Amino acid sequence: MASRERVTVVLAGADERDLTKLVEYRKAGGFKSLAKARKMQPPGIIDELLTSGLRGRGGAGFPMGRKASFLAKDTGKPVYLVVNADESEPGDFKDREIMFRVPHRLLEGCLITAHAIGSQNVFIYLRGEYTHEFDVLRAALDELREAKLLGGVTVVIHRGAGAYICGEETALLESLEGKRGQPRSKPPFPAVQGLYASPTLINNVETIATVPAIVERGGAWYASLGVENSAGTRVFSLSGNVVNGGNYELELGTSLYELIYRIGGGIPEGRKLKAVIPGGSSVPVLTAGEIQYPLDFDSMAEAGTMLGSGAVIVIDDRCCMVQLGLRVAQFYQHESCGKCTPCREGTRWMVQLLRAIEDGRAEHSELDLLLDVCDRILGKCLCPLGDAAAMPVASYVTKFAEEYRQHIDEGGCPFGGESSLQGVIAPIDQHTLTPVAVIPA
Amino acid sequence: MTELVQEIREIAGHYPDARSAILPALHLAQKRNDGWLPPQALEEVGTALGVTPAYVQSVASFYDMLHLAPVGQHLVEVCTNVSCALVGAQQVVETFQRELGVRPGETTEDGTVTLKTMECAGGCGWAPVVVVDHRYREPVRAEDVPELVGELRGGG
Amino acid sequence: MQEADRMSGELVTVTVDDRKVQVPKGTGIVEAAIHAGIEIPVFCYEPRLGPAVGACRMCLCEVEGMPKLQAVCTMTAQDGMVIRTAQTSAKAAEGQNATLEFILVNHPLDCPVCDKGGECPLQDLTFRWGPGNTRMEFEKRTLEKPIPISPAIALDRERCILCYRCTRFSEGVAEDGQLIARNRGALSLIGTFEDLPYRAPFSGNVIELCPVGALTSTQYRFTGRPWEIQNVPTICGLCPVGCNVHATMREGKVRRMLSRNHPQVDEGWLCDKGRFAYTHLYARDRISDPLRRSRRRGFEELSWDDALDEAERLLREAEGRIVTALSGSETVEQAYALGKLLRKGLRAHTAFLPEETGSALDAYRLPLSAIRDAELVVVLGDEPVAERAPIVDLWLRAARREGAHVEHTGDAIESCRRLAGRDDPLGKRLRESERAILIWSAEEGSGGAHLAALAGELGFRYKPGSGAFHLPCTPNGRGVADAWAACSDDEAEAPESIGLLVVSGDEAAADPNVRALAERAERVIVTSMFQGLAVGWADLVLPGTSYLERDGTYVNLEGRLQRLRRAAIPPAPDELAWISKLAERFEVELPPYASAVFAELSELIYDGLPFGEVGEQAELRTRSEAPAAKLPDETPSPKPRKGELRLVRYRPLFSGPAVERVPELQFQRPPPEVELSPEDAETRKILNGESVMVKHVDVARELRARINPSLQPGIARVANDHVGELGGFVEVSKP
Repeated sequence: MASRERVTVVLAGADERDLTKLVEYRKAGGFKSLAKARKMQPPGIIDELLTSGLRGRGGAGFPMGRKASFLAKDTGKPVYLVVNADESEPGDFKDREIMFRVPHRLLEGCLITAHAIGSQNVFIYLRGEYTHEFDVLRAALDELREAKLLGGVTVVIHRGAGAYICGEETALLESLEGKRGQPRSKPPFPAVQGLYASPTLINNVETIATVPAIVERGGAWYASLGVENSAGTRVFSLSGNVVNGGNYELELGTSLYELIYRIGGGIPEGRKLKAVIPGGSSVPVLTAGEIQYPLDFDSMAEAGTMLGSGAVIVIDDRCCMVQLGLRVAQFYQHESCGKCTPCREGTRWMVQLLRAIEDGRAEHSELDLLLDVCDRILGKCLCPLGDAAAMPVASYVTKFAEEYRQHIDEGGCPFGGESSLQGVIAPIDQHTLTPVAVIPA
Repeated sequence: MTELVQEIREIAGHYPDARSAILPALHLAQKRNDGWLPPQALEEVGTALGVTPAYVQSVASFYDMLHLAPVGQHLVEVCTNVSCALVGAQQVVETFQRELGVRPGETTEDGTVTLKTMECAGGCGWAPVVVVDHRYREPVRAEDVPELVGELRGGG
Repeated sequence: MQEADRMSGELVTVTVDDRKVQVPKGTGIVEAAIHAGIEIPVFCYEPRLGPAVGACRMCLCEVEGMPKLQAVCTMTAQDGMVIRTAQTSAKAAEGQNATLEFILVNHPLDCPVCDKGGECPLQDLTFRWGPGNTRMEFEKRTLEKPIPISPAIALDRERCILCYRCTRFSEGVAEDGQLIARNRGALSLIGTFEDLPYRAPFSGNVIELCPVGALTSTQYRFTGRPWEIQNVPTICGLCPVGCNVHATMREGKVRRMLSRNHPQVDEGWLCDKGRFAYTHLYARDRISDPLRRSRRRGFEELSWDDALDEAERLLREAEGRIVTALSGSETVEQAYALGKLLRKGLRAHTAFLPEETGSALDAYRLPLSAIRDAELVVVLGDEPVAERAPIVDLWLRAARREGAHVEHTGDAIESCRRLAGRDDPLGKRLRESERAILIWSAEEGSGGAHLAALAGELGFRYKPGSGAFHLPCTPNGRGVADAWAACSDDEAEAPESIGLLVVSGDEAAADPNVRALAERAERVIVTSMFQGLAVGWADLVLPGTSYLERDGTYVNLEGRLQRLRRAAIPPAPDELAWISKLAERFEVELPPYASAVFAELSELIYDGLPFGEVGEQAELRTRSEAPAAKLPDETPSPKPRKGELRLVRYRPLFSGPAVERVPELQFQRPPPEVELSPEDAETRKILNGESVMVKHVDVARELRARINPSLQPGIARVANDHVGELGGFVEVSKP
């Protein structure tokens, strides 16, 4: 597996300069793309995006140019650009780094995209917990305003308040409209009826931050990076049992092996690799024997998983896979919005079953029941959250079936309290919120 | 009209529909009310945005960062999602528990610190992540906890 | 978009389980399937609550060309669509079965003690599509139950399946924003702010909307099982809307009221007065025998024969100097019978009705549902629409949601004059609009005549989509007035002195103006349901009946003749029975049956329409010829002095003899408040909820200020219950 020359697009120049400052960003060539874009006709920019093959970096991987071209025309309503900065996928912290290191590139991307779709209103829906990033973005926006670069476009940085589901685009729109962040039934798609029932383009931070480079160097150039169907670079978030955790911008098609061992420095303390979650906690797991796969959309699909949001979580041999299943299921139970039945009830049931398996209170039939519950959630929910809970857990049970069976046969966890996830307290466990009301007089 | 109501109306001016300002409004109301949202604050937000207090409560109770019950002067949140848990988040939680004498979800008797665990904070590569008063500390290992607690207790 | 599709009238072909059906483009798939004779099971789907949300996932079906199962309740019919329900698709059957399994994971199986058991969609759907056993072996979620979310409604959170119908009603139909979902995910709960009672005029609808036994009526809980009850189709007689209802009967007693959807009148909604006030039938002071004033005990019971003798004596002794005070809640037949007895038999033509009614508006008649379809609605008058005719308020909200411009113009008579003028901008819009509606919501007399003149002036007679509604204060004032008028052509000559005052019904008996008349009368006969209303001033009391105990007809505010059916047998002979007996004594022929009385009066006023054709879902008669009419001359109302506000008093929906006798409705009665516009509050530095003094000359009352953004500046609005001696113009200030 030959190492390629590192090409950076989104994080380009951030190692050399403090790109949070407008003057530094300009020295690095910043805002030339915006000037160029504003001289272009909007359809021309969308053509470049189409040529670039840029696919959404939030997780679904939908081509950005196509999404932009779906926007309803001549509706008499304003067109909105919404940036999904509600990064919350476990394992994912790339958008955060993009925002605190290259905020101006994101803003430049916003302004170019706004021009391309004829929008005067940009909303950046920022994860509420990201307070530092909020400060950085706001300072950058102030600089742009002062430098009169906004060109009449209003950019509002809107802070969320702690809800994973708001990363789902329609839930995000609901939340931005001041409601509970519960996903909408699609269609209508946001391109037709999005924010305030108006045509809306929603894209991830990394996607938007890629736009300036595409405008500057052309869609064809960007398409030449990466591999077929997976053009360009991605900022991979590497975490877990790995020596050098962090974000790494790599061309798509780089192998998991290369990321984990060459770049990430391998597994610490001489432990053995057990499993890898390649695209955030929502995707099926890969075993240690499957890391030869390249990180691109098609290869990951071939491996039976997904590239997702590019969050690679490395798991060593100290981790109990039942505990992993339980912790992941607890996350989704906690984050289920409660709107649709299978997700709300199913994730809770999954947690109960996994807890029973971990505690040695389960029978073999309950392994089948767990898989069946996953199957009954899969493909039946209003939004992808239910699938995101069912798919990974089902993959743990299938790929580590022996370990699951061992829990039942041995009447408890074979790790005997030595698992790295032993006893971990999930937020769902600490709900002191007693759902009991006072009786009105 | 209270000061808070006025401030919220100003924020609402940034949005095509005032209701959109509900999260910024609730963040602000929480800041003004010792880190939580008493019923009175929900009513004020409702007045400012032209919605019922019930509606405000419905929205506020959906989001983890908005507290409908009192919290301590300091809020310590330990991420215990997979990436952090793999590298010792539970040991961090346990040290906090020992140092503070409270379990996650509880506030110290003197009202200084509320300890919570949280879902993925978005610092996975720099784990374990601890968020103190909404500011990230990365990484915080179990052995770093006593000093951190001292800082919170001393800092008041 | 869907609306536009339906308007286009284009038909599309949809195949459901191999059956092809043609439906208008845009028809919901659930409805299209019904056309094909196929039921798609649903819980959260309810088109009256707005766009489908697809939350419960009960309707999962296969749609050709789509890889995943679809929540088809969110889809509309497109040409060539092929749908497979659980009947022909194993995948859909599996999906629906899965949904039910998930719903039942935490739903208590307490059907044998659940009020909903036997009429429960969850029970029915589980029986047909659900799993036969449970695989859930953990302890189910337990919660404190039941929680009274108001004195009238109990909530069992364990049974709740979180379909969000109730909260969608509160937010999107009644727009009261009080019943909400709290928390997230599996911890989600239905509740109210700080667990305060759900206090809103339409709260009870959530009971009917609930597809499980989570929201139940505290009045009906544990009083009957579905196989022991009968539902009698009738109409509500508590306000001029005349909502179509079912009275649920068990063992001869009314146990609950349910809506009975008349799409033009009520769309299946019912206000809390209509829903919960029925227990006044069983009030402790209900009269079941005639009573006579007696020196020793105040009142003594007497036999019906003696009572009729007494009534005959009182009627004869008055020698024609008789005045009749009508309630406007009598049936058309009752009013006709009473009129015929008094006018034909005793030449007593003088009657008193709480308000003027007339036929002037018949030329601008429209169904209430036309309000929703309007583009411009103007409400004249300062009285809250919901207090006078509650359902009209829901139609107004629906109109606003559909994009109509709804404007409240304040002072009704003044506005009439202004809108009739040629240069008024709003008047101009009314003239230009093809779908404009006028609504009169004020106590001021001759509202109908004013409205008719204004509608005529605005050219409404040529516009079938434009019309006008007068919101009267009595449920059947129009029917009563027409029936009374039909009895005789002789003119009424008011007697100089009142020998006998005949008070017909509870509303008249409770009316202070009628009490004032009684002061001037030598003798008083009162017909009333309640002793409390008759004690102290009547010489003879004859037991009255309720609208739930009568057969007959009512005319609602649209002018729609609707059929009232006797649900419960009254504890005493009904009015028609004894009026007919009494009539014999004066040689007036009167049958004791509503059908026969109607046959007689129908020839006179309803073109001979047979009783049997009034129907369970009555149609609206066509518009009459528009009479030429001019705006009545009124002396211009006096102007307030600087700093003064015009006092608007109104009769609250939750008031009156029936409501006073229902414990579950007491919390709905208006608190001692004065409503102010934000502008008037601001200039007086008054905050919401503050205590203020409301002063008129030397009368003052301390009330709580409520700032109401929908109120016009220049007025102070107080419910009759709290207005005391205040009147005219008032000063409002901090004490």
